[in-house]
Amino acid sequence: MSTYVLVAGDPGVAALVEAAVELGAPVTAVVVGDESLARAAAAPGVDRVVWLGAVGDHAVEAFAAAVAQQVAADPGVVLAGRKAGERALLGAVAATLAAPVVTAPLKIAAQQVTRSVAGGLATETRSYAGPVAIVLDGGAPLAGGGPAAVEPVAAQPAAVTVTGLRPNPAPPADLGSAERVVAVGRGLKAKQDLPIIEALAAALKAELACSRPVAEGLDWVARDRYVGVSGQQISPRLYLAVGISGQLQHMGGCRGSDLIVAINNDPEAPIVAQSDYVLTGDLYALAPALTAALA
Amino acid sequence: MPFQLTDEQLLTRDAVRQFAEAEIAPIAAEIDRDHRPPLESIPKLAELGLLGLVIPEEYGGTGADSVSFAIAIEELSRVCGTHGVLVEAHSSLCTWPIVHHGNAEQKQKYLPALASGEAIGAFGLTEPGAGSDAAHTATTAQRDGDDFVLNGQKIFITNGGFAKTFVVIARSLLDVPGVKGLSAFIVERDTPGFQVLEPERKMGIRGSSTTPLAFSDCRVPAANLLGREGEGFKIAMQTLDGGRTGIAAQAVGIAQGAFEAACAYAKERVQFGQPIAALQAIQWMIADMAVDLEAGRALVYQAADLESRQEPHSQASAMAKLFCGEMATRVTGKAIQIHGGVGYTEAYPVERMYRDAKITEIYEGTSEIQRLVIARQYLR
Amino acid sequence: MNIVNIVVAYKYAPDPQEATVSSDGTVDFSRAKAVVSDYDAVAIGYGRRLATACGATLVGVCVGGPQSAKPVATKAALSRGLDRVVVVADDELETAGSTRTAQAIAAVVSQLGDVALVLAGDSSMDVAARMTPSVLAGLLGWPMLSDVETVALADGSAALERLTPQGVQSITVALPAVVSLTSEAWPVKPPGMKDLLAAGKKPVEIKSVADLGLTLADEGTVVSRAKLGGSARLGVVIDTSDPAAAAATLVEALRAAGALSEGGLA
Repeated sequence: MSTYVLVAGDPGVAALVEAAVELGAPVTAVVVGDESLARAAAAPGVDRVVWLGAVGDHAVEAFAAAVAQQVAADPGVVLAGRKAGERALLGAVAATLAAPVVTAPLKIAAQQVTRSVAGGLATETRSYAGPVAIVLDGGAPLAGGGPAAVEPVAAQPAAVTVTGLRPNPAPPADLGSAERVVAVGRGLKAKQDLPIIEALAAALKAELACSRPVAEGLDWVARDRYVGVSGQQISPRLYLAVGISGQLQHMGGCRGSDLIVAINNDPEAPIVAQSDYVLTGDLYALAPALTAALA
Repeated sequence: MPFQLTDEQLLTRDAVRQFAEAEIAPIAAEIDRDHRPPLESIPKLAELGLLGLVIPEEYGGTGADSVSFAIAIEELSRVCGTHGVLVEAHSSLCTWPIVHHGNAEQKQKYLPALASGEAIGAFGLTEPGAGSDAAHTATTAQRDGDDFVLNGQKIFITNGGFAKTFVVIARSLLDVPGVKGLSAFIVERDTPGFQVLEPERKMGIRGSSTTPLAFSDCRVPAANLLGREGEGFKIAMQTLDGGRTGIAAQAVGIAQGAFEAACAYAKERVQFGQPIAALQAIQWMIADMAVDLEAGRALVYQAADLESRQEPHSQASAMAKLFCGEMATRVTGKAIQIHGGVGYTEAYPVERMYRDAKITEIYEGTSEIQRLVIARQYLR
Repeated sequence: MNIVNIVVAYKYAPDPQEATVSSDGTVDFSRAKAVVSDYDAVAIGYGRRLATACGATLVGVCVGGPQSAKPVATKAALSRGLDRVVVVADDELETAGSTRTAQAIAAVVSQLGDVALVLAGDSSMDVAARMTPSVLAGLLGWPMLSDVETVALADGSAALERLTPQGVQSITVALPAVVSLTSEAWPVKPPGMKDLLAAGKKPVEIKSVADLGLTLADEGTVVSRAKLGGSARLGVVIDTSDPAAAAATLVEALRAAGALSEGGLA
């Protein structure tokens, strides 16, 4: 029985390899992408690298069935990152193996996984008799250096062709590597009040982030800055949530932060129970006070 | 009498609430401050089907039951009393009498435009010398060939500033005194001799356009006589029975909005090291407001349900209107009290809700008139 | 273009915004009203447009516990624009994970036949695993694409635009396929009054796991549960009666914890 790590066009899977090695079984990386990616996947701890070939004009998703076929040979725990392509490949694997899918794992053992449920408010541990498909943060890029040789395997991609790319006008925000993040939610009354939060972020040398409605419903902040299960999932040293109630969807994106601080006018907001420091009151008084205290 | 809302009624509440919070709540304070009719909301209200609630499907409406209608008014009023009365007056006071007393030609001519929002409706009964006392209606409608010629004045006409279709009560049987000489007419806004005058500056529901109407040799085709001659009072009274339930629903909605604002504020406002919600004085007010609201809501749904089942509902609607109007003033007043000083400022919505609530004790029959209607049933 | 059925997979689930959290960190969903989420409303609204344009039937497929089959649940979904719904409602599916849910949807899709496209929302509102469409595609042997903003159907294929960190990618995919849409793919509006009244007249089929002859995957056995919340976090409430003093207290605490120590803030 092997542990599999799925590598879908992106070398950022070091955390998966780390988790895979912990399990003790041989680790096989199944790679979809350029040969250089396959070589990068041959990192310490990886016993085999199965390379299904370059993506070419196809989307990574075209290789889902081929990946599932490789894993079906000797199924154990299968790990994949959170990105769209990675999830598509893992879904095909789970389907082929009739394996359960686990997201937000906290502790992975051979036949037992503890995961976070209800947006990080509780944990649940389940035991599994068969293979399990697990989604977790991919982590840093792999850079080869391990003993495994790359084994090319011919794969027949499905008819999913990329015909063009309209690049983003601005480079995507890099919330993931920020030490500190200040996130703003619906507690902010108007877009013109945003400078209050921006000033606080500047004083903290933090990246600005927000909850989903602020980016998607209101369009006050760029979409690549919203934190949540369907947005950015980050784990900075400090996460300061201003006017964010802390619904499940949001907390799923920041629960890994070292310290969470909440400024909220509702002492019963869900975020209060999930924060290290809580300032209950008017953000229009508290945020400027904090900015001043940092000056 | 246990009252169970149907799936459709529950889903109506969800849909109208979602709409009201997204589209109306953001402009509620501004239209109040500027006394500005929210004309931009009319196409949106129409798209959701809220302008055709009482209109049958064959004329482009939704043919919703009266409880669904009350729920829709309640949810609009929860965020903005102005929008509540805009839809209520359009539906109950203009559309409803055309649906129930209009002939096939009149329905075909007017209802589709009223359902689509192309025309907003208004109702002209009140006059300087005849408010609750319709018998003294002085506006006349003199027969002249194929026309009736209207002369006189109406006041306090909701939606007057922008309505296109007016149902107007006037005396056409000039030699018949009292209410038996009254008839109802459909009057189009652009009729020569018909003039909409300057809107009132009001204490509350300030986005609602409340205007006088003036008729000066205004020729209305006889084809626009609603019902038969002499039926004007009957039509007006039946119209107001439904209208009262609608206003009661508006009152419940305004009170609900203030109640929720008060609960939220009580949880967030910290005094003496604890949220004021922990204080018994506040808890008692919250409890009284909650009971008041539930009682009022039950009266509204009961009156609306009787209306849906075409059972007599004058008494029920008068009770709902009386109780809910006074209840809304009580509840919004307590909401300000819970807020303390800030509740008296424009920074919080409760002062607007208090001003909006007061009118529900007055229009479409004052509380005193409702008491008269109710007592009459027991003392005749 | 001959497309017979377009399926929208949706869920009738509690709105976590109405869930309450007690001081010991217990999440109470009992007061959270079940709804068809806005994510699913996006998929239904988008599906309605596609189905109307090509004359297809838009079929909603819902998997869940018994409450998913209540008339108020099916009417809520139908009022969003579906032509009919098939609900797989079963006690066994009350807490189904992505794999079991996908199995049930796949069984319905196979029984329906002639399905060109399965649309899904970005995420379920309550669990938010974002994996069910991928597993469903795997079971059906169809391609799956997520984060899709636009879909243009043609004979045997679809042209998609989807969001990636690099930009908007154009993709051609052979049909049938499974597609999950971003939450902005369609502007969600509340259902109109006419749609609400029409919903009760549309066909609803209710099936159990046994009706579908399904053998559900083993999704593991719960060994233990634990509450997090206050215990996992410090939970220090700072007195805010004086904002400046509160800010100073917080800054001191963050500095002591080393949270300000990098990036020139020491």
